[in-house]
Amino acid sequence: MSGNRPGVDTAIYGFLRRIPTGVLWMIVLLWSLPTLGLAVNSFRTRDNQRNAGWWNVWRDDGLTMENYDVVFSASATAGLKESLLNSFAIAIPATVIPIAFAAFAAYAFAWIDFKGRKWLFIATVSLLAIPLQVALIPLLRLYNFGSHWTIPFLEKTVTLIPDFDLVNTTTAVWLTHTGFALPFAIFLLHNYISELPSDLFEAARIDGADHFTIFWRLVLPLSIPVLAAFAIFQFLWTWNDFLIANTMAGTNPDAIATTIRIANLAGDFGRNEHLLPAAAFVQAFFPLVVFFALQRFFVRGILAGSVKG
Amino acid sequence: MKSRFLKLLALLFAFTLIAAACGDDDAADDGDDMAEGDDGDDIADGDDGDDIADGDDGDDMAEGDDMADGDISITVTGPERDESEAGAIQEVLGAWGDEHGIEVTYLGSADWEAEINVQVEGGNAPDISIFPQPGKLADFARAGHVVPLNDEAAAATAANWSEAWTVFGNVDGVQYGVPVKADLKSLVWYQPARFAANGYEVPETFEDFTDLVDQIAADGETPLCVGIESGQATGWPFTDWVEDMVLRQHGPDVYDQWVAHDIPFNDERIVSTMQAVLDLWTEDNVFASSGSIAATSFQDNGQPLIDGDCFMHRQASFFSAFMPEGTSFGDGEGEVNVFYFPDINGDRPVLGAGTLAAAFNDNDATMALLAYLSTPDYAEARQVSQATRKGGGATLSGFLSAAQGQDPSVYQPLEQSFLNVLETAAIVRFDGSDLMPADVGAGTFWTEGTSFVNGDITAQEAADRIEASWP
Repeated sequence: MSGNRPGVDTAIYGFLRRIPTGVLWMIVLLWSLPTLGLAVNSFRTRDNQRNAGWWNVWRDDGLTMENYDVVFSASATAGLKESLLNSFAIAIPATVIPIAFAAFAAYAFAWIDFKGRKWLFIATVSLLAIPLQVALIPLLRLYNFGSHWTIPFLEKTVTLIPDFDLVNTTTAVWLTHTGFALPFAIFLLHNYISELPSDLFEAARIDGADHFTIFWRLVLPLSIPVLAAFAIFQFLWTWNDFLIANTMAGTNPDAIATTIRIANLAGDFGRNEHLLPAAAFVQAFFPLVVFFALQRFFVRGILAGSVKG
Repeated sequence: MKSRFLKLLALLFAFTLIAAACGDDDAADDGDDMAEGDDGDDIADGDDGDDIADGDDGDDMAEGDDMADGDISITVTGPERDESEAGAIQEVLGAWGDEHGIEVTYLGSADWEAEINVQVEGGNAPDISIFPQPGKLADFARAGHVVPLNDEAAAATAANWSEAWTVFGNVDGVQYGVPVKADLKSLVWYQPARFAANGYEVPETFEDFTDLVDQIAADGETPLCVGIESGQATGWPFTDWVEDMVLRQHGPDVYDQWVAHDIPFNDERIVSTMQAVLDLWTEDNVFASSGSIAATSFQDNGQPLIDGDCFMHRQASFFSAFMPEGTSFGDGEGEVNVFYFPDINGDRPVLGAGTLAAAFNDNDATMALLAYLSTPDYAEARQVSQATRKGGGATLSGFLSAAQGQDPSVYQPLEQSFLNVLETAAIVRFDGSDLMPADVGAGTFWTEGTSFVNGDITAQEAADRIEASWP
């Protein structure tokens, strides 16, 4: 027996050890298949897409860039550039503003002991249960008319919120997204921030730091993983949103988001459904950029606290 | 520990309930507001009405005094939205606007039906919307959301469209809608050369049609292509078949009663018609490329028709857009043509569909645009623009208008034959599922119809369930 040859046990161990990775790779492949199919179809002509599934691509008489040409050049609803800019004008404020508010709020909920803190937090978290859809029409009326209240008996109408003429603007869209993102953002950030070690805060306070300094110097840098994780989710959600953009700004051609433009490309009765795979890739490009830009924070966010470094 | 956790859960639950109740309150409040708005008077006098009128022409148009040049803008929305159609509408309306110093914007919407409700209730209605469903237009008219045509627009509509079409925009004797587009549904697509090669003739009567189906099946070929899959709207091709057959078997009067719910949906005549459709769709008679009728997309039937997998496909005039690229239309080899889906009683009924424009305010500019929409000039301009956008040459535009006095030369020969059918038809009926309440016409008629086609339920069960769902 030569001591250097790996034994049978090691070989089997090595094999078994690789099984989970292999299974994971299988799942990755399986989950990527639809995307691959979409990618392949985006280069096939309408008739080819209609007549055979994407795996028959090798039988086609060549691929085409025509779908992308149409997606890039179509202008009946809005041009590609305008609609992308509108989408950014919606998704960026709708991502940044909730994070800013929620970080402050989460810190306050976690580390400032004010009266009614727990009840307020419970109320905030309970707001998660309200679906956005029920508020669509009230919100639209608010943006359109403002809010007025007639005091009973006095016959005096008080303007609670003036009419800012927000309807049909991208502002109305991101404002709505912001409002409905806040409960979840506060909930998520609170859970993370409240688990930061309290020793840190005590040490900071002994050194004379006030709440703002603690928040700015300690909490924010330590919370970057969770902020990035939330930013990714929120950006994806607002970027891909159709309903709110369509409701709040759907009749203003100058405020059309990319999702609406793409839905319109398909035409009635799905006449031009063959354009959708190509359009989907154009639509997905920017979220991918955001994801890969933030993903190292994302991974850290998941692993945060698991190892002491 | 455990009990504390339970308490917390209970608290959370209580809060959820309260929150949900508040949400309901909002919705209920809103309902009240709408109810007030519904009275009609309120629309004119109440807050809501004022705001709608002021908001749209006052604020948006800045200081523009009614028809003065420059600052007037009109927003038109509608369900037609793809590049060539929305582009053609925008081009034609924009040109009209340039002539009159008005900025006209057309915006198509993939979700028009849901969107228009929200916009109206939220006070954000467009100036004009194009309705694919007369039923919806009637609902809006009765609720006071859309306004009647003024004299000028009503006169233009009456002059340019036959009564068979204007009636769809007429609600309780008042003209609200202007027909702007017509689809012809009683058509069968086929390849004349293949018919000739097999010695088949275009059927003149419905009996000829069923005989032909039997004969083709007996010859070992497949007579019909049928597919009713259409995403969320799966089942609508089945409803079209049923409507066409009700019209043929029982006549326009029964059809009107059925659509208006004067007879129940599960009337035995309707049930027998539903059964008759399915009896025609036997396994031998139907080619369904995806295996079953309900799983086959209606759009996918163009290729099998060209390939000869089936001989006939009953589908509306707009199906030309789903033919494989390069298909030409005519009687030559490899070309595709249509024949009129034959009648039973010799009355040549035609099932149609189309769109109607209606206004949410009665500004002079809005009404002037509605009057223009009714003209043959609009139809011709749109036809030319849309055909060019689809590729020009012999390409079919997919657009069709039954406005009187159009120059037929702007249409391709096949489209001219559609127009011919529309013009010679004595009985035109609108697609019934577009006239029925949306819960049925865009709901159970589709879903229960699909279950019936799948063989999960009988015709009687399907009709009973649809009847039960009628609001």
